[in-house]
Parts: sequence; structure tokens; C-alpha cells
Amino acid sequence: MITAVPAGWVVGLAAALFAVGTVGVLVRKNPLIMFMSAEMMWNAAALAFIGYAAQWHQMQGQLMAFLIIATAAGEVGIGLALIVWVYHRRPRLDVDDVSEMKG
Amino acid sequence: MVGFIILAVLSFASAVGVVAARAPVHSALYLIGNVITLAVFYLLLNAEFMAAAQVIVYAGAIMVLFLFVVTLLTAGKEERERPESLAGQRALSGFLAIAAGVLLAGVAVRYSAGPSVTRFSSGYGSLAAMGRLLWGPGFDYLVVVALMLLTAALAVLVLNRSADDPRPAAPAAPAVKEDPS
Repeated sequence: MITAVPAGWVVGLAAALFAVGTVGVLVRKNPLIMFMSAEMMWNAAALAFIGYAAQWHQMQGQLMAFLIIATAAGEVGIGLALIVWVYHRRPRLDVDDVSEMKG
Repeated sequence: MVGFIILAVLSFASAVGVVAARAPVHSALYLIGNVITLAVFYLLLNAEFMAAAQVIVYAGAIMVLFLFVVTLLTAGKEERERPESLAGQRALSGFLAIAAGVLLAGVAVRYSAGPSVTRFSSGYGSLAAMGRLLWGPGFDYLVVVALMLLTAALAVLVLNRSADDPRPAAPAAPAVKEDPS
């Protein structure tokens, strides 16, 4: 069973997934793919919480993962509404097209 | 350990697929694979309720929403990414992100805690235990989640109202056409 695996490995996998998500947010320019990469980062954080919850036999970590999933659901609703609002009149899906707000 | 490695490889490969896919639809399909492997992880880590919630909320609700938006925004468009305006930004940011990930994973594996001395409580991670936790000590979190989701739903409604041309407050009375006879 996986309980034989030390929690460090699970959290290490979570860190790797988080890094891949970071690469996606930083390198891609399609707002939808960037958003999906951000979702992957949320998932990695939830995996770390659940891994530590199983390590310490405490359910509070699962409670935090529940909060993460609920937050991700709300965030996806608002984020996709914003993306549709910004891009449905534009010919290209590219975050460089909405750089008017850059400082 | 073998199962862990197989699942980890699957999960990591689908994560790389999300980032590397050219079309957003392929990214969405890879992300579904990633979410499902994570749900299997949750199941193996004694988090049954979270595994079910992950599949229902992520693979069921969120990914369907993503697929709707992908088809709405990219239907019939074949576009290549434009060349970089900031020279070297991609390579540098990708390298720094990978370095940060390797550092984090190394720290997590290196300082892994030893086996815990306590035991799993009975029904650990089950729906009943999660319900007792959410309606008992964690009730504040439940209320906050409810308020947050309500706020998100209201925000989406407001955004969609102002997305199109502002509609008149009341529909204009239909003009009665005079009969030319």
C-alpha cells in the first residue's frame, strides 16, 4: 500500500507538479493554458496537504484540501468569465494583447 | 512503492502534457488525466471523500467549464504563438521555475519525517468522518466556503450581465405595425 511510501516522496511529487504548473504560467501565452497550469498548482498544494495528513494521521489536512477544491471551483468560475469577457471580441488568444495595464 | 512510482510518472507526464500541448483542448484532456491520477493518490492516502470530491468537482464540473470556454473561444482558429517580445524571458523563467521545483522537491524528500507513531482513527478520511469534522470543529470553514461560492456565483452573474451590450432596463414595447389596407 502507499502508506509504506514516506510522505516526503508524495510532497516531492507535489513540488514537481507545482514547478511544472509554474513553468506553464510563465512560459505559455494562451490564457486558457496558463489558467489550467494554475489549476495544476492548486492541485499540487492539495496533494501536499493530503500527503501530510496521511503522514500525521490528522484529518485537518484533508479539511484544507477541501477548502482548496472549493476555492478552485469559485476561482475557475470567475476566471473563465473574465477570460471570455476579455477575449470574445479579440481575434487572438494571447495575453500580450491585453497589456494596456502594464505599469 | 511500485504503484507510487507508476502513478507519479503518469501524473507528472500528464502535467508536462498540459504545459507542452499546442491546442488548449489537448491541455484540457491532459489536465483531466492529471486530476484523475491525483484522485487515485488521494484514495491510496486514505482520503476517500477527497478523492470523490476531486473527481466530481474537478473532472466533472471544472473541466466541463473549461471545455465549454475552449470551444467558445478557439472554435475554428488555428494560431501559432507569436515570437517573444522580451528576449530570453521564456528560457530564463522556465529555468528558474524548474530550479525552484527541484529545490522544493529535494527539501521535501531530504527532510522527510519518519513514520508516525499514532494510528489512523477508525473511519479516517471517510464521508462520515469528514462530515463530523466539517459540522463540528471545522464549521467556520464550511460557512466561509458557502459564502465564497455564493459570492463567486454573484460575481459571474454580474460579469456576464456587463459582458454584452448593456441591455435596456425594460424591454421596449413591441411596435404595432399598421395594417396598410
